[in-house]
Amino acid sequence: MTARAGDAPPSGPPAVVRESLQGKYAGFASRFTAFAVDVGVSLGVFMLALAAVSFAALVLTGKDITWHKGDIWVIIAYAVWAFIYFAYSWAASGRTAGMALFGVRVVTDDGTDASARRAVVRTLALPLSFLFLGLGFVGILLGDRRRALHDVIAGTAVIYSWDARAARLRFLSRG
Amino acid sequence: MVSALDVNALLDQVDLNAVLDQVDINQLLDRIDLDRLLERIDLNDVVKHIDVSALVEQTDLGAVIAASSSGVAGDVLDVVRSQTVGLDEFIARWIGRLRRRPYTGPPGPPDRLRPGAGS
Repeated sequence: MTARAGDAPPSGPPAVVRESLQGKYAGFASRFTAFAVDVGVSLGVFMLALAAVSFAALVLTGKDITWHKGDIWVIIAYAVWAFIYFAYSWAASGRTAGMALFGVRVVTDDGTDASARRAVVRTLALPLSFLFLGLGFVGILLGDRRRALHDVIAGTAVIYSWDARAARLRFLSRG
Repeated sequence: MVSALDVNALLDQVDLNAVLDQVDINQLLDRIDLDRLLERIDLNDVVKHIDVSALVEQTDLGAVIAASSSGVAGDVLDVVRSQTVGLDEFIARWIGRLRRRPYTGPPGPPDRLRPGAGS
């Protein structure tokens, strides 16, 4: 079997992107990697917070608190923190840290800025997309507007927010 | 008396080149209040008619702007984003093949997206 031109994922510099993608619906890889970064960031911050609480308790009371990941209170605390992390980020700027890194953002399905209410609904609906082996994410792959189940419920979409053509020009200017 | 004059016939007899030869352009320009003239021009309307994208693409202007705002972190970010977009396109092309629908590029933008929104 021979590889055909255009089949392989590009491994070159930013020159691979020849048009400005700004405003186009973001694809699966960008969204998934952004989400993975967000999970890492939110978990990292949460663990730091737990460590800080443990340290403060040790200093103030002399008691050593240990946390177990199966502890219901730890799970609830993380769920609350994750809700705040995603809902606030989407309401405030339309993007989380991971989304900012990968140049994507949340907008309403007609392209206007997402309101706080939509951000909250989107955050609450996000777990639904994971049900049935992540069936809710299939819409990103097959849908005309690349929307997951939680996007449809919240009336939102995810678009590229970075100017790929400017990146290409930056690459050319270095050459 | 004016109505009796044939203005067209009169103008036909005027040698405009000779008249213009006698006009001191510098003196004329000195009498023009450019500030007042510019105040009457809607520059925003003029700029709307300029294809900035084509201008940036066809000249070194884009490279100059880009070079001035580029840093190491920005370069890394560009590469990471470009690679991920490449992967997006790779996946979308294969999905298009499986569905026997030719892939013509990422869909969008949404109808009411403001130009430059999201940047």
